[in-house]
Amino acid sequence: MNAQAVAIENLCVEFARRGERLLALQDIYLDVAPGEFFIIVGPSGCGKTTLLRVLQGLAKATRGRVLVSGNVVTAPGTDRGFVFQQDALYPWRNVLRNVGFGLELQGVSKAQARARAQAMIELVGLAGFESHYPHELSGGMRQRVNLARALAIMPAILLMDEPFAALDALTRETMQHELLRITAAAGTTVIFITHQIEEAVFLGDHVAVLTPRPGRVQEIISVDLPRPRPPGIKQTAEFQSHVARIVRLIGTYAAHA
Amino acid sequence: MTVAAPSRAAPAWERWLTRERVTAIRRPLTTLVVVLAAWEILARTVLTNRLFFAPPTEVALAALRLWRTGELQHHIAVSFSELIYGVLLAIVIGTLIGVLVGISQRVQAYTEIYITALYATPLVAVAPLIILWLGIGIASKIAVVFLTAVFPILINTIAGVRATEALLIEVAQSFCATRAQIITKVTLPSAVPFILTGIRLGIGRGIVGVVVGELFGAQAGLGFLILTAGQAFDVPSLFVGIVTLAVAGVGLTFAAGLVERRVLRWRRTLQVD
Repeated sequence: MNAQAVAIENLCVEFARRGERLLALQDIYLDVAPGEFFIIVGPSGCGKTTLLRVLQGLAKATRGRVLVSGNVVTAPGTDRGFVFQQDALYPWRNVLRNVGFGLELQGVSKAQARARAQAMIELVGLAGFESHYPHELSGGMRQRVNLARALAIMPAILLMDEPFAALDALTRETMQHELLRITAAAGTTVIFITHQIEEAVFLGDHVAVLTPRPGRVQEIISVDLPRPRPPGIKQTAEFQSHVARIVRLIGTYAAHA
Repeated sequence: MTVAAPSRAAPAWERWLTRERVTAIRRPLTTLVVVLAAWEILARTVLTNRLFFAPPTEVALAALRLWRTGELQHHIAVSFSELIYGVLLAIVIGTLIGVLVGISQRVQAYTEIYITALYATPLVAVAPLIILWLGIGIASKIAVVFLTAVFPILINTIAGVRATEALLIEVAQSFCATRAQIITKVTLPSAVPFILTGIRLGIGRGIVGVVVGELFGAQAGLGFLILTAGQAFDVPSLFVGIVTLAVAGVGLTFAAGLVERRVLRWRRTLQVD
């Protein structure tokens, strides 16, 4: 099967720290279909972020390989957009120029970059804030800019590293709905890391549960809830049974950790 | 009629001149008047020997005389161009080398200790040597200004480049930025606040460089005016040179503050008082 958006084959990542070898990820196999919303959950320190960084080409695989649209990943590429966990905006650029940053690097003409950045700003619901600087925005708005910046380069795959972790509960809920709306509109494949299990079930088509370090895929759960998912879905028994199952999976090792 | 109506009719300057601004202008002005009065009284009662001291009224008259003959303007123009050319050169070269040292561990290992040493050395001391090399014209003073101004700019640029947040560089990398793009679009803009501080320090040192350079050998300039007036026991003219330098210092500091505020608009500013 070569039609995968992302294929991870036998991935191992080792770090050398103070002369010691540290195994971060071990024997990871994952397939993500185009257009899929794929979630990775696991306890902190299990290598989730490392996995995403390898996908982006920011970290190197020690063994195995990662394919995006059939091509082996060795470096960052414009087919992947990365949404960072922290507020990683350029403070000296206003919203419009932050969103247009990736296009500017690619040498896209000013007018075209501006037009596309503007469209992305409207898509994430920030129209009217183009000339605001990051320090003038709330946490949720900054994360929208972060998302718009990644989407502006029109990536086939969106890599998101706990993008809502720093937001308050209410903003987080709103952003979850917005993200589903936006990625559905853009038709992007999403790989999304979180440690919030409800968030994982609400957003995901599949949820991969990783073990503590060294991270291995413990189980992949299919979330067969209908789309679009209304806010009330979190109260349904089906939703809660998915949540309970993942909690149990993570709990098996949390108990003797 | 609403409460806000009168302010709409007021002319622009009247709206600008708020109560806070009036206070902000009045207080330093009061200090000035008191100091000038004390100076005048001192010169007319205690230090009455005009070979050594002069009251502000006589300084003002001397300034008027020097202005009428066009001498003062000429001295100001010469000193100002020496300062500007020297500082501009220092900005260009200081920033370039600063970025180079800041991004390369290897260049840093070769150079940093010497940059620190030269930063701490009062380089105006080499002014006589430079005048020996480049003559008493404007070039030698530009060189002295450059030498004194370049090191604070250099040191601050290095610090600014080092202070660039690793995350912001990683974002650029994840958008496939080249090394050159990372430098021009991430490292440099993030170092701008540091570089501006360096420039402000450099201007301050540059003014000292101009005067000292002119004292050691020149044909014109405010330092030259001070030197020749001193040799002729013309104390009022000597004070004209000093006061002009003080006013220029205040003006340049104010201008630098305006530029900084304009360029660093994107920074969160906390109003603390």
